Amino acid sequence: MNLAFIIIDDSELDCFIAKKIIQQNDKRMKVAAYTDAITALRQINDNTDMHANLLTIILLDLRLPIMSGFEFVEEFERLPADIRRKYLIYVLSSSMNRNDKSRVDSNENIVKMMDKPLTKAAFDIILTEVKAKKN
Amino acid sequence: MANTTEKIKILYVDDEQDNLFGFKATLRFHYQVFTAIDVTQAIAHLDANPDIRIVFSDQRMPEQTGIDFFEAIRVSHPLPVRILITAYTDVESVIDAINKGNIFRYIKKPWEESDLFSAIEEANRYYVTNSLLTVKHDELQKAYNELNKFAYSITHDIRGPISGLMGAIDVARDISDMNEVKEMLFLMEKSLKKLDMYVINMNDYYSLQRGELIIAEIDFNEIFEECKSLFEVIAKVNTVSFTINVNQNEIFRSDKVLIKMIIHNLLSNAFKYQDESKTEKAVEANVEITNGSATITVKDSGIGILGNHIGEIFNLFYRATSQNVGSGFGLYNVKTALLKLNGHIEVASVMNQGTTFKVILPSI
Repeated sequence: MNLAFIIIDDSELDCFIAKKIIQQNDKRMKVAAYTDAITALRQINDNTDMHANLLTIILLDLRLPIMSGFEFVEEFERLPADIRRKYLIYVLSSSMNRNDKSRVDSNENIVKMMDKPLTKAAFDIILTEVKAKKN
Repeated sequence: MANTTEKIKILYVDDEQDNLFGFKATLRFHYQVFTAIDVTQAIAHLDANPDIRIVFSDQRMPEQTGIDFFEAIRVSHPLPVRILITAYTDVESVIDAINKGNIFRYIKKPWEESDLFSAIEEANRYYVTNSLLTVKHDELQKAYNELNKFAYSITHDIRGPISGLMGAIDVARDISDMNEVKEMLFLMEKSLKKLDMYVINMNDYYSLQRGELIIAEIDFNEIFEECKSLFEVIAKVNTVSFTINVNQNEIFRSDKVLIKMIIHNLLSNAFKYQDESKTEKAVEANVEITNGSATITVKDSGIGILGNHIGEIFNLFYRATSQNVGSGFGLYNVKTALLKLNGHIEVASVMNQGTTFKVILPSI
């Protein structure tokens, strides 16, 4: 399956790990990593983030400086529907906070929340779910 | 007992002028007495003097009974202690009012002077205890709020790096390229350093909240000599020019540990938030001691702070940039230390040009 990925995480180590896990699975997958949400949002909005019509998975951290993960999702919701359609948002967070969890669960633009950093097992789950959604 | 400079303020409302005169005559040497002929006047006094501690009211008044008046001000002016004065034996309504908490006690009319004095003393003690309780309650509330922030930050700032390191170890098993391993080791080290800094800052935070001040003579030359050796290494590695000017010709007294912590935080920020793309990078620290006041400025040529973030940079766990992320402790600790030392801080910043922090401290 041809997919692209956007990682938004202020921890460079966690970005690196996610990138490695994605590419260890399939070297051809496109991955872009951003340490802040504003730049990522701008790229998505300008549609310059990469591959025009590829389904793109956003792996989003919650606790980010300046624009938090939740603020990113709020901004994302304002984008035109034909841009949004291309993306699926997964929250990756080390937060064990219940409020965060219920905020994620109640947001229809977020597929689900997973523990940070990305693991092979978690990545397999994402791939399976995305495939199911696509079909 | 009321002290002579600041007498306790009390208010008496009664529709009979003679009673007001009598009351004031008895008490005016010991207390600052306000009198009101009706409820409207009484409320005007309460509005103008929020520090009135005790309110006496007659029960039988033409427009409103004392009990009704108290029930109303209990909401609008909750702080003063309420005492009812009544000539009638409206036992039922008085008991009812006491039970509802609308009045503290009641005094029979005509009153005994000793009754008035003892009522005031007790009411004042009650008022003081309540005020202290409010102060303690606010302090507790603040501590709770910070504890909540802590609990939240622990999952991100402590668990985050730990999970990251474990994830990295896991990924490393499938990496064969040595350069990639090295790149990852570098990021792992960075993550650990951040965690270490977090723990150090948390310790500063705790000592600040709980510690006592130790006032001694401060030699700014000595303090900056220490900083110099520490930061010169960083300056060299990152090619930042670093200059220090200390001008101290008088004795200055303060808490050395706190002052070092303030300077250390400001300098470390100045180096941390440099603009990597600039060829001329600089940090400049100046200290000037005149007339028992120290002015410390730390100026950098860094990335600057966006105008709408400046108000928030002193908040606990606030971070205004994703470059070289800090712990969100530093400037909060600086602000807390300055509060303890009676000092203050000013910030001037221009995006992409740099930031200047100016600290002004009195000699203690």
